[in-house]
Amino acid sequence: MWSLYTYHHLLAFLLTFLSYVLLHASRKTFSNVKVSISAQWTPSALQQNGSNSSLSPGETWEENQLFADVEEATLFLGALDSIFLFSYAVGLYISGVIGDRFNLRYVLSFGLCGSAVTEFVFGTLTEWLHFYNVYFYCILWVINGLLQSTVWPCVVAIMGNWFGKSGRGFIFGLWSACASVGNILGAFLASSVLKYGYEYAFLVTSVVQFAGGVVVFFGLLTSPKEIGLRDYSETGLRSVTRDSDSQHPLMNDDEDALCDEYSIQQRDEELEPQPKAIGFLQAFCLPGVIPYSLAYACLKLVNYSFFFWLPFYLCNNFGWKEVQADRLSVWYDVGGIVGGTVQGLISDVLGKRAPVLAISLLLAMGALVGYSHSPNNQLVNGALLATTGFLIGGPSNIISSAISADLGRQGALQNSQQALATVTGIVDGTGSIGAAGGQYLVSLIESKLGWMCVFYFFIIMTGCSVLFIIPLLYREICSLCRDSQARTHQL
Amino acid sequence: MTAGVTTSTICLCTVFIVLFNVYVDSQDTDAQLCQMCEGTVRQDSPVWDFCLTKGHIRGRCCFRNNTSNVDTIIGLDLANCSISHIEHLYNSSTAFIILKIADLNLNTLRGNASWEKVEVKNNAKICQGQTNICNQTVQMPWDCPENSFCSPYGPGFFECSCLHNFHGYKCLRQGEFPIVKVLGILTGSTVVVSSLLWFTQRRKVKNT
Repeated sequence: MWSLYTYHHLLAFLLTFLSYVLLHASRKTFSNVKVSISAQWTPSALQQNGSNSSLSPGETWEENQLFADVEEATLFLGALDSIFLFSYAVGLYISGVIGDRFNLRYVLSFGLCGSAVTEFVFGTLTEWLHFYNVYFYCILWVINGLLQSTVWPCVVAIMGNWFGKSGRGFIFGLWSACASVGNILGAFLASSVLKYGYEYAFLVTSVVQFAGGVVVFFGLLTSPKEIGLRDYSETGLRSVTRDSDSQHPLMNDDEDALCDEYSIQQRDEELEPQPKAIGFLQAFCLPGVIPYSLAYACLKLVNYSFFFWLPFYLCNNFGWKEVQADRLSVWYDVGGIVGGTVQGLISDVLGKRAPVLAISLLLAMGALVGYSHSPNNQLVNGALLATTGFLIGGPSNIISSAISADLGRQGALQNSQQALATVTGIVDGTGSIGAAGGQYLVSLIESKLGWMCVFYFFIIMTGCSVLFIIPLLYREICSLCRDSQARTHQL
Repeated sequence: MTAGVTTSTICLCTVFIVLFNVYVDSQDTDAQLCQMCEGTVRQDSPVWDFCLTKGHIRGRCCFRNNTSNVDTIIGLDLANCSISHIEHLYNSSTAFIILKIADLNLNTLRGNASWEKVEVKNNAKICQGQTNICNQTVQMPWDCPENSFCSPYGPGFFECSCLHNFHGYKCLRQGEFPIVKVLGILTGSTVVVSSLLWFTQRRKVKNT
């Protein structure tokens, strides 16, 4: 398998990996500086025997009154998260379609650089100019969501162009660690620069992201066809099953190679500047897209709530410092990386994805109960975080990457090849809507009912995502049983 | 006790204020103070006696005799002024205040704890020797937040100033960010990596 890959494949892997790492790093910056930003937006809260007083000098302690107190600022921060995710979701539906129609490289670079500029204006410029305005922040974050949404469908499509179905689970599982690596990078960057002021955290991550966009523009090859190598396209979802059970892997590859060459020749002859892309509704109606999208909506809610709120929760609940909380929140992502890779590998070996996901999610519900009762001990908390990350982040990574690639390359797409970005956009877009609704709910539940109820909410959502996968699970288990029966009959 | 002055019960009060080592920050405050009521320093007030040797009188104020252009107020006679609000007087370090009050329900500014020596004679309460509230043995009503320290700012007043190397709003920021160095390194490495990738990757692109 590995001899099929050249160093071009490695570079494509690394560049797409890097793009999403930088994107997530800058997203993580926002969640890691929430405590500092809400301190910047509010006056000092001094309450003595029920009477409010103010510290002097006023410029140092009382001047900024964007919000009256930290609770209001927190609600607004939750609202900003929701706004971002909603516009990200809308953008995903659009960008998937755009990515399948336009040059993936241009769309990707534009998204990276544009988003970097927006983040710079949001975090750094407003602070340098001391211009704090609620509507301005909201508008900027909507624009940021739309621009960032261009990245994920493009990188998944590019990966789908370079890497075929063999080992897809493992490679995509490893590759989908990019989100978690980005979170870790963002956490470290933010915590090391935070002492200079939160505006410098935004400055560093947005400049690095802009640089990433430039590098991608000059260095990325969107598909092996660009330099004359073979493209890995499939002819059916059932070929995944055939691959793992197959007694004749070589024949499989040869068959596909023939089909590939034929289709490439056809395309060359047609001299079409843009390959035919699938319609949005058509992509929506592909088998498996809707259940996985809905399951992903619930799962992404939980995943993103940890992502956005974990440092804040650790500071508020245990009283730890923001820098410590940022460093500890890394463990969730470490768990997610390991989970995505290991579960991707298992699902490759098994040939089926749904059973692996279902088991992991059921165990995740238990892990959430355990985490909600975590003691005030950083070591134990970190270990529980890593476990929870493994069990929730793993399925989340797989659905958004390997499964999207599976769905976008299945048998129903015989006539049109370009569906990968569209399907990825749909799955991730639905996921983001779920996550968006969840963010505001989290801050609302927390302010009214406390953190324990937030965890109950997460457990319910995880349960719902299992429910959505049940039809697919049933189908896959049946086919597993049938195949093992067929094998025993052959013997 | 609030940070402001409790003045609600002042009525028909007579105020003599002798200020040592005071520098009132703005010209506006000078004008405000000296023109709070009409007239000039009265000859039977302690401010008059004090000012004869130490400075010259202008309106209700006594200014220090000094060669620099800065006018420092060292005395203030606000007798029979019917003052109800004297908050802005405390923009400066007041060392010595004499308050002659007709209605003795007035609480002395900041209470007895603000002054080392408090005497009452002839309807006048004399408060002398401002204490440093930051050094109080009695528990302070509140502490300065993180990264700041307490410094006195008037009788019973204090301000929280940022510690060394801390600056900005709420003293949250520490040190100077090396922006030029960081941007320089990032730009340089971006140029290098982009050129490298261009030569190894995109130059080989075949146009179909």
